[in-house]
Amino acid sequence: MTRRVLLLVALATGVLWAAGRPAAAQYTLGGMRLEGEVETGARFFLAEPSKTRAAKFQEYKDVDDGLFLQRFYLRAFTADDAYSTELAGAEWGSENQNFSLTSGRLGVWQFNFEWDQLRHVLFTNTRMLAVEANRGVFVLPTRRPPLAAYNSAPEQDDISVRWDTARMGWQYSFTPDFAVKAEYTRIRKDGDRPFGIVFGSPGNNFLQVLEPIEQTTHDFRLQGTYATERWQLLFSYSGSVFVNDERRVRADNPCFANAGQCSASDVGGPASGQVSLPPSNMAHTFSLSGGANLPMRTRINGNVTYSLRLQNDSFLPQTINDTIRNDPQLRLPQRSLNGNVQIFTALLQAVTRPWTPLTLSAKYRLYDQNELSDRPIFDGVVPNDRTVNPQDHRAARLDYTKHNVDLDARYQLVQPLAVAVGTAWERWDRSKGREANTTDEFFGKAALDATPTDWLQARLTYRPSFRRYDRYNTFARENTIVIEDVAAEATGQSKLLRKFDEADRDRQRVDFDLTFTPTETVTITPTFSYRWDDFVGSRLGLQNETSWSTGIDLNFTPNQWFSFSTGYMYEKNDQHQRQRQRTATLDVVDFDWISHNVDTVQTAHTAARGAIIPSILEWAIGANWSYALGRVDTRNPVNPSSGTAAQNATASAKPWPAFEDQLFRVDVALKYHFAKAWTATLGYAWESFEKKDWRTDTLNPFVPVPSTAGLPGQTSIWLGGDIKSYTAHIIGATLAYRFE
Amino acid sequence: MVTRPVWLGVSAAILLALIAVVLGSPSSGPAQAPAEPPAGYVGAETCKGCHEDAFRQFETTKMGRLFLKHPRNSKESLACENCHGPGQKHVEAGGGKGVGGMITFAKNDPTPVAQRNAMCLTCHSKGDRIFWRGSPHELRDVACTSCHRVMQDVSPRHQLAKPTQIETCGTCHIQKRAQQMRSSHMPLREGKLTCTSCHNPHGTVSQSLLKEASVNDSCFTCHAEKRGPFLWQHAPQNESCLNCHDPHGSNHERMLKVAKPRLCQQCHNETQHPTNPYGRDAASLKFMLGRQCLNCHVNIHGSNHPSGFAFTR
Repeated sequence: MTRRVLLLVALATGVLWAAGRPAAAQYTLGGMRLEGEVETGARFFLAEPSKTRAAKFQEYKDVDDGLFLQRFYLRAFTADDAYSTELAGAEWGSENQNFSLTSGRLGVWQFNFEWDQLRHVLFTNTRMLAVEANRGVFVLPTRRPPLAAYNSAPEQDDISVRWDTARMGWQYSFTPDFAVKAEYTRIRKDGDRPFGIVFGSPGNNFLQVLEPIEQTTHDFRLQGTYATERWQLLFSYSGSVFVNDERRVRADNPCFANAGQCSASDVGGPASGQVSLPPSNMAHTFSLSGGANLPMRTRINGNVTYSLRLQNDSFLPQTINDTIRNDPQLRLPQRSLNGNVQIFTALLQAVTRPWTPLTLSAKYRLYDQNELSDRPIFDGVVPNDRTVNPQDHRAARLDYTKHNVDLDARYQLVQPLAVAVGTAWERWDRSKGREANTTDEFFGKAALDATPTDWLQARLTYRPSFRRYDRYNTFARENTIVIEDVAAEATGQSKLLRKFDEADRDRQRVDFDLTFTPTETVTITPTFSYRWDDFVGSRLGLQNETSWSTGIDLNFTPNQWFSFSTGYMYEKNDQHQRQRQRTATLDVVDFDWISHNVDTVQTAHTAARGAIIPSILEWAIGANWSYALGRVDTRNPVNPSSGTAAQNATASAKPWPAFEDQLFRVDVALKYHFAKAWTATLGYAWESFEKKDWRTDTLNPFVPVPSTAGLPGQTSIWLGGDIKSYTAHIIGATLAYRFE
Repeated sequence: MVTRPVWLGVSAAILLALIAVVLGSPSSGPAQAPAEPPAGYVGAETCKGCHEDAFRQFETTKMGRLFLKHPRNSKESLACENCHGPGQKHVEAGGGKGVGGMITFAKNDPTPVAQRNAMCLTCHSKGDRIFWRGSPHELRDVACTSCHRVMQDVSPRHQLAKPTQIETCGTCHIQKRAQQMRSSHMPLREGKLTCTSCHNPHGTVSQSLLKEASVNDSCFTCHAEKRGPFLWQHAPQNESCLNCHDPHGSNHERMLKVAKPRLCQQCHNETQHPTNPYGRDAASLKFMLGRQCLNCHVNIHGSNHPSGFAFTR
């Protein structure tokens, strides 16, 4: 806060200095002409969300009582306009501040530097009993506390991640046809995220702690481009280096030797567990693109790109459990992956207009991802720091090649009407670790663009597509990862399942947009979109999905003193999935269950501004509303009856209440231009968020469920984080000064 | 690892040096005196005679300052007529909208869109616009002036037709604009990202006008921790982040397409716990509360732990 006040006081001093100068046609500083605007003021909460309810309100913003900088923008030009320097920014002193500096010589070079902060708040109401002894190491008392004690554990500070992004770039145009560009971006993330550690699975307990986020991404880009009227060339290189300062999270097991609190199974778990965090890595990409204009209004474009992704972080040990860590089966076959993925992409595209009304285009694109990393085989693994799984596990590599061909023809039947037809083909060739090694998808395209009058434009598009695989190996993963384990297939996937990203699919898609411009001042844009996916041949898995939306926007700007816009959008996504509850010995059709997942989202916005006294007193109002309703209705097509009573109960569909959220925000402002360059603004904002979600609304760190016959006890511990409803009323006043 | 103070110090030094260069460097020579207009052209001063308001607005724009004060070649020195075409016939006919073959770039301009765009492309065909021809927008006859306002500064950068990118793109893509209002969203409505953070509307080598070569490469720009390569890969993540996420916004946490655990269950019908029709009953809670499947399978984007084949380590 002190830093913010100092910044704003310094800024205010500068503005007052500038404003206090003798009136002149232009502001000058060191012989440079100035233009720009600064707006700063103070805001106060009339009603502020409490700390435990503020997570969603503060999700991407940092709003506090007191002084703030709405916007700052100052550009300085040399007398002849050849050179300029621009300084801009907003929210200085807050966690979300940003500023930028751009300098350049017109048409020759430009340098820019930008600093942008973002605080992403996840939760503000978590509790944790474990103490973070070292970064990423969470310790519990040797004698584990009763589980109920976690619900009165100390509240944590905000669980958030701060993104600090610095970007600097340099562009130089040797001639209008030849330019080079260099850019460096550094993204630093600091903070924490909820993160679970399981001490046995399936069915054993876990503890949610915090993932330490201390990550830096360095991104370098170089680009050179040369263009003539006949041909253009573009070369680029990008290098990205990701550095994770934290390699692991380690946490004590709340149930370790905690008899009387946990089930015998959980009590027998390891004293503590360790989970890896994302490894540091890097990537390099080289790209060469070109295009040439040929006779008959023909254009060809091409591109080749080669990318290299590397990762060679040392492996963590298989386990930190002292009782098994020296098991010879847990010896690591190598110290790191030697991760090496190489990607080659190519594009060849031709577009021609042999005569004015006809456009033909053809495109071929190749994306070839090759996994050249090692394929280490582990003699044994410890997936939960608990017991050694003696099966050999091989880190199979997954890669793929994707081909796309597009052919399109567009014909301007008459001046206001154009018809386009086309076809396309997409092939995926995947490695044998995936179920469908080859899929082919064929597309049709038909489009109609009509402009019957200069006030109406209509666009209609219909795109059916049909995807088929050649063969489907249900046990692809088991076959490539778990070695010499015949039981793996029996306990693996159902043979009836088809994964939605590989399954046979028929798709119908229609998009329709209209733009009415009955007068120069009115624009009305209705839109409609429909997509239907039918996963033909999928006995289990996603069966079909319907997604449609319709909406309308209206803009009315009769004059410079009044404008009005409003819009509404309705979106619905409807999925049917069919699954089967099964065990290694019981795989029966009456254990099938069907889930109908429906999400409905409505969004509306309105904005208006006008003048009470033109050029002196203006008003503005804006409102945004969104409402989302999610329903998951699960049912059994027939009552499960083939198993024991307990098995039938497990296979029976369970109710799942709906969940919903609603956001409403209204902004009102009154602007008073009390002097030529001065504007005072009085503003008010109301923001309301309501959420109902049974999965988090009453989530405590410990949710007691006693162990009873057929039901395991609940001995897992969460952080208890929940996004709460809130209402905020904010009033603010700003003063703006314009340099011109 | 370079420590933050060193890094900041180096950056500050570079900045100060560059500012010193800019402020200390001599100004360019006097603006080039306009040469005699070529045959058929009349020169910007003539245009100004009738279109003074438009001229005044244009001369404050970046393009206006370049054309009118610091043209780099003969094309740019044509100023207004570099884009609108030679004006002599227009002037001789006494003016009027479109008279004399002038291209007005207005919505009702009878000049075909391709011809209008060709005027822009005579200068703007390099760099990020190299793939404009054949791009989805070009093939649907979208005019450059549908998104850009050349004659005045409406937006702080890029001479957009609306004050912000989201408003500009949202003129047609109103569903995408609406999606940013969903509860689970990237910080677009907060102004920290824009449409062009991921897309290049002028045409690209990839699908959906992505700036990078693939969906995943686009996401890895900011989320490089998910790039790997990991020891244990999660197949759908390896192929496309869109298998699970909707980057334009969702009503599910982390912009997931469907509520967990149903999303995970669509691909996992194994004999163990994933197959249960979990609900609100006591036995389901461990799998339904908090992060659901990810309570245990925390490294779902991939694991580099020797025992991480199930993404629990």
